Amino acid sequence: MIELVRETYRYRELIWALALKELKIRYKRSVLGFLWALLNPALLMLVLTLVFSTIMRFPIPHYPVFLLSVLLPWTFFSQSLSYAVESIVGNGDLIKKVKVAKLVFPMAAIVSNLINLGLSLIPLALLVPLLRHPFYWTWLYLPVPLLALTIFTLGMTFFFATANVYYRDVSHILQIVLSAWFYVTPIIYPLDFIPAKHQWIFKLNPIIYVINGFRLSVYYGMLPKASSIIASFVCAFISLFIGVAIFRKYQDDFVFYV
Amino acid sequence: MSSSLVPIRLENITQRFRVIQERADTLRELFSKFFRHESHYHDFDAVKNVTFEVPHGQMLGLIGRNGSGKSTLLKIVAGVYRPTAGKVKVRGSLAPLIELGAGFHHELTGRENILLNGLLMGYSRRQMQEREERIVEFAEIGDFIDAPVKQYSSGMYMRLAFSVATEIDPDILLIDEILAVGDAPFQQKCFERIQSFRRAGKTIMFVTHSMNQIAQYCDRAILIDRGTIMADGRPDEVIPVYQSSMTPEVVGSH
Repeated sequence: MIELVRETYRYRELIWALALKELKIRYKRSVLGFLWALLNPALLMLVLTLVFSTIMRFPIPHYPVFLLSVLLPWTFFSQSLSYAVESIVGNGDLIKKVKVAKLVFPMAAIVSNLINLGLSLIPLALLVPLLRHPFYWTWLYLPVPLLALTIFTLGMTFFFATANVYYRDVSHILQIVLSAWFYVTPIIYPLDFIPAKHQWIFKLNPIIYVINGFRLSVYYGMLPKASSIIASFVCAFISLFIGVAIFRKYQDDFVFYV
Repeated sequence: MSSSLVPIRLENITQRFRVIQERADTLRELFSKFFRHESHYHDFDAVKNVTFEVPHGQMLGLIGRNGSGKSTLLKIVAGVYRPTAGKVKVRGSLAPLIELGAGFHHELTGRENILLNGLLMGYSRRQMQEREERIVEFAEIGDFIDAPVKQYSSGMYMRLAFSVATEIDPDILLIDEILAVGDAPFQQKCFERIQSFRRAGKTIMFVTHSMNQIAQYCDRAILIDRGTIMADGRPDEVIPVYQSSMTPEVVGSH
């Protein structure tokens, strides 16, 4: 674990350059370029607002804010994983030719998606007053769930990127896992929609605690309970420990399988 | 000089590759193979129990037929492969000129690629910024430096890659068959640069099929065949061994 922090620090410039490269390539050849990082979530918000204020009306006030407060972090999570699962295989040519610390590739995928998440918070911050939803001071708490989510995502990323080197099915399986996971996580609905006696099942979902932190601070203007914060970090570090252990065990052999 | 301070030292190196005829790349194949108890692979030792060291300031030429294990050895020294058995000791900073331009991304400009490539080789942003102008100047690609490298001709691409890889101050150079880059004047420039590294006392490992280059530049040559060392000595001793080992096959194939 200390090794991970040391290597990340050592290769910080490379990770940053690779992350920027990824963003640059993602938005290259489009007229609006980098603006898409802002426009994408803004347009998504527009659609959601229209749909949920006219066609589908939930008994939840300011539903778009309710939804987006966790949809944006979820998008970060699922996009990071989708990018990172291919990060070792996709850079196979490089790994076979140059001595390079393998961890920079999944790390760069995370960093580029973190930048995207940061940018998508700007349209959200504009949407909140537009819908006359109060702007809570608890927004200041956001870095805490963001940290837990990043650690959690990093661990999952290391695991899936490693697994995909040996079995390329993993990236396909991941897509199915992610879409199932999306629906069993209270993202489009509140946890209260689940009958109380079944709620314990949903609480086994390791991402629910960190998701809860986002929704409470943006939508409800509350801070999560200490137990919920602790649970989110416990899940995050379990994910990281497992992911890093597996990644480190196999990273020297990647070159023979990519 | 004590032997523990040699820049490159390989001890009983073996590099095994698993050659899989029908690779279980997917889970379905894995399951079907698992239940039929099949495994279609054989192990192949690209390098077998090789031991040698390269003293400080020596230019060593590796020769041998295609597939003899020369490039694998170079990649072991470069740290791309972790050998199956044996110990590698490399003392000093490395400049691998093995796969030039491997880290280039075609959508990025020449300038952006200089930075990214340098970072990949382990240099810092500041070190690369200091060298940028000299790299651009040596590559002689003019205004193209701010164009995406996908617009480069292959010669421009290699020239930029060569100057990024050499416009640093390494202790050890690993060169794999790359001196066929660019046109004649640029090749000349490349050789001059290699020579200046030699004069500066750098340690160099050099893979080539050109016996002229070996005879002209190297202090020592090692002949590799099927992963083992067949001859090791002065170029004028080793080259005839290589040539005599080649002749029957060349004749036989005609």
